Amino acid sequence: MQTVTRYARPALVPGATLLVVLVGWQAVTASGLFRPDQFPTMTDTFSALGAALGTAELWGAVGATLQGWAVGLVVAAVLAIVVGAALGANDLALRSAASVIEIFKAIPAIAILPLVILVLGSTLGMKVFLIAFGAFWPLVVQVIYGVRAMDPTVSDTARALGVRGLRRFVAVTLPSASPYVATGLRIASASALILAVVAELVGGAEGIGRRILFARNAGVSAYPTMYAYILVAGALGILLTGAFFLLERKGMHWHESQRGVGTGGLKAR
Amino acid sequence: MTGRPRWARLLLAVWLPVVLLAAWWVASATSDSPYFPPLADILDEFVDEWVLGDAKWQLLPSLRNLSVGFVGGSVLGVLGGALLWRIPVLRRATNPIVYFLYVLPAPALLPAMIALFGLGEIRQMALIAFGATWPAMLNTLDGMRGVDEVKFDTARAMGFGSLRTVWQVVLPGASPQIAAGLRASLQVSIILMVVSEMVAAEEGIGYFILEAQTVFAITTMWTGILVLAVVGTALNYAFMGLERRMLAWHHGSRRIGGVPA
Repeated sequence: MQTVTRYARPALVPGATLLVVLVGWQAVTASGLFRPDQFPTMTDTFSALGAALGTAELWGAVGATLQGWAVGLVVAAVLAIVVGAALGANDLALRSAASVIEIFKAIPAIAILPLVILVLGSTLGMKVFLIAFGAFWPLVVQVIYGVRAMDPTVSDTARALGVRGLRRFVAVTLPSASPYVATGLRIASASALILAVVAELVGGAEGIGRRILFARNAGVSAYPTMYAYILVAGALGILLTGAFFLLERKGMHWHESQRGVGTGGLKAR
Repeated sequence: MTGRPRWARLLLAVWLPVVLLAAWWVASATSDSPYFPPLADILDEFVDEWVLGDAKWQLLPSLRNLSVGFVGGSVLGVLGGALLWRIPVLRRATNPIVYFLYVLPAPALLPAMIALFGLGEIRQMALIAFGATWPAMLNTLDGMRGVDEVKFDTARAMGFGSLRTVWQVVLPGASPQIAAGLRASLQVSIILMVVSEMVAAEEGIGYFILEAQTVFAITTMWTGILVLAVVGTALNYAFMGLERRMLAWHHGSRRIGGVPA
């Protein structure tokens, strides 16, 4: 009995809160405290969600958002790794580029959105460019940190063994820097999702953001659908954040920063 | 690295931005692409619109919404985080909901905010505040949970009351991470400020840029983009400067302790 309660408890408390929130949502909307044109009822929203889950429209929108997110991140990551590794290896180049990177990193990516819409239109390319631009600058900083934090012993060993050029990049530099890249990607992933939704909402590219705006413009009867899509956007956020968390935990277990042995002092927090 | 004299380091830091600006100037000077007008024209237009003209007043509603939303959301977030830290049951209970709201891409709520608050500036401030709350809250919670247990024992031994312990032990101990959370909140706030002005709004820097784009006044749009870039950059740097000043004791003590700051 004791054991049962101890195991049941962790899920029980948040589960109960979730229930309270859902019932409270229903109460404030069904009682008329919020009118349907302000906030739809919980039951309407979930039946709209149920209906939407069976449509190609929703999965098409989810696919489009995910596609922009993924392609944008990959483009940013590849560029950041190449540029970051090159800059990390050369002190003179790094000192020259540092101010440019700092300036671009501080510019909010959304500033260039109207220009990108104008040049590329309401397309996947527009979304990808915006996401890649937003993700590249913080990522390249992470890659530079990663390359420069390389254990001197590893670096010297590679040199003594005559590992150079592309082979050194693939076999030494990349693995050493990978935890930094993983952390950078996790942070970039969240802002990439935000920028994807923005590109859909403002730029009119296909995806969840556009569907949310459509539902709002379709009038009060479509408000439950609007909230259903918002819930889906949140679910996407959970999925992507969780995936990167696991990647960092499970994918990086071999790296000394995660093993907590080796050089010490490197242990990532 | 340290061998280089100061002037050489300064030269290294500035030559590339200067070259890039000059390259932009030269490359765009003969440009006949409608999207990339000559930089000289953009600067002329900037003087007309922003220095002599009325465009600068568009910054007022933007900055007002941003500061109300960001400060409101941050205060809510830090207080909420402290509450979650103090009351473990509350933390466990609200965990999935807080996490959901944290990872939810906040711009997705913009249409819902229009439905809730109408088209005025209230929905803009509310959206910014919503976005700013969660990074501040979760980082505050994390930072406070990370405070060394020994410090609590010390505070108890010295007879600190619980309020004094929070004020003099927990808050300083958690402040580096609270600052990191607030920085993330500021970045989200800036995005939300601009997005909320680009959808169904009639004032603000975001409105100015999108309006210029819609009527194909490309040079005017470029001035707005540059102003927004400068304002956003300035806000980020102002925050970092404030953070460095307020956390100077922290970096100082880390240096003394032999930990690289």
